[in-house]
Amino acid sequence: MNLDELKKLKEKAQRQVSLREGHKKYRVVFSMGTSGIAAGARDIMTTMLDEIDKRGLDDVEVAITGEIGLVDAEPIIRVEEASGEQVTYAKVNAADARKIVTEHLEKGKIVEGLAVGKVKE
Amino acid sequence: MHEELSLHILDLGMNSLAAGATAIQIRVSEDLARDRLGLFLRDNGRGMDRAALARALRGRGSTKASRRNGFGLGLAFLRQTAETCGGRLRVASLPGRGTAVAARMRLSHVDRPPLGDLAGTVRALAAAAPSVRFRVERRRGAETFSFDSLTDLNLPEFA
Repeated sequence: MNLDELKKLKEKAQRQVSLREGHKKYRVVFSMGTSGIAAGARDIMTTMLDEIDKRGLDDVEVAITGEIGLVDAEPIIRVEEASGEQVTYAKVNAADARKIVTEHLEKGKIVEGLAVGKVKE
Repeated sequence: MHEELSLHILDLGMNSLAAGATAIQIRVSEDLARDRLGLFLRDNGRGMDRAALARALRGRGSTKASRRNGFGLGLAFLRQTAETCGGRLRVASLPGRGTAVAARMRLSHVDRPPLGDLAGTVRALAAAAPSVRFRVERRRGAETFSFDSLTDLNLPEFA
């Protein structure tokens, strides 16, 4: 990593301010405890942020949570809908992360092969 | 153990957010002449008393009661990395005031993890906690880079 890459951070972080808290349709929660971090959660999150940014999805907000006790299933992502529905994705890799953006967040279709849990309210 | 120092920083940053911090300062300095690398994080979270700090440093924080406070293996991992790499970890904490972490190690030590993607770490933290002020400074010899989420993001300004 060099200083130029850090400079790019300013530009990207500026665009992501739009992902701040609000009444968005989707809230994506990343498990970012020690085990999530060790399993690659940060890069999954930045991959998703890039994809969300690239597609101009502005009805999405992001959040991070600490250790949730499912160490073997990390990296874990939970997608929460404003309606109360929650979908949990486990062992997510970079390709999965992009698919969750293009299918779930953009088209509203749950990525069935990846989802490990659903809660409907 | 984390593969990058930036992942240790993310782990510490998560502790700070779990402690309710509204301001987090991160500094990484590489002193080539003295062969030292220093990694510093300070926050204004709720802090830890001596017993909680001792547990966190031993990596014995992941009991149910303390997990709610965000102490798991993060500090113990960083301590191990610093001590393996010819340095040490120091933590000062005041309940109700905040916590300061300093990890120093030998820059050229063969086991020292690379700094890695510091920008990615700060992006992840800042995107998820937009109301928290993050100040990041990186010094490498004479070069300096700094980022401050209060002044560097597009917040409202008077025309």
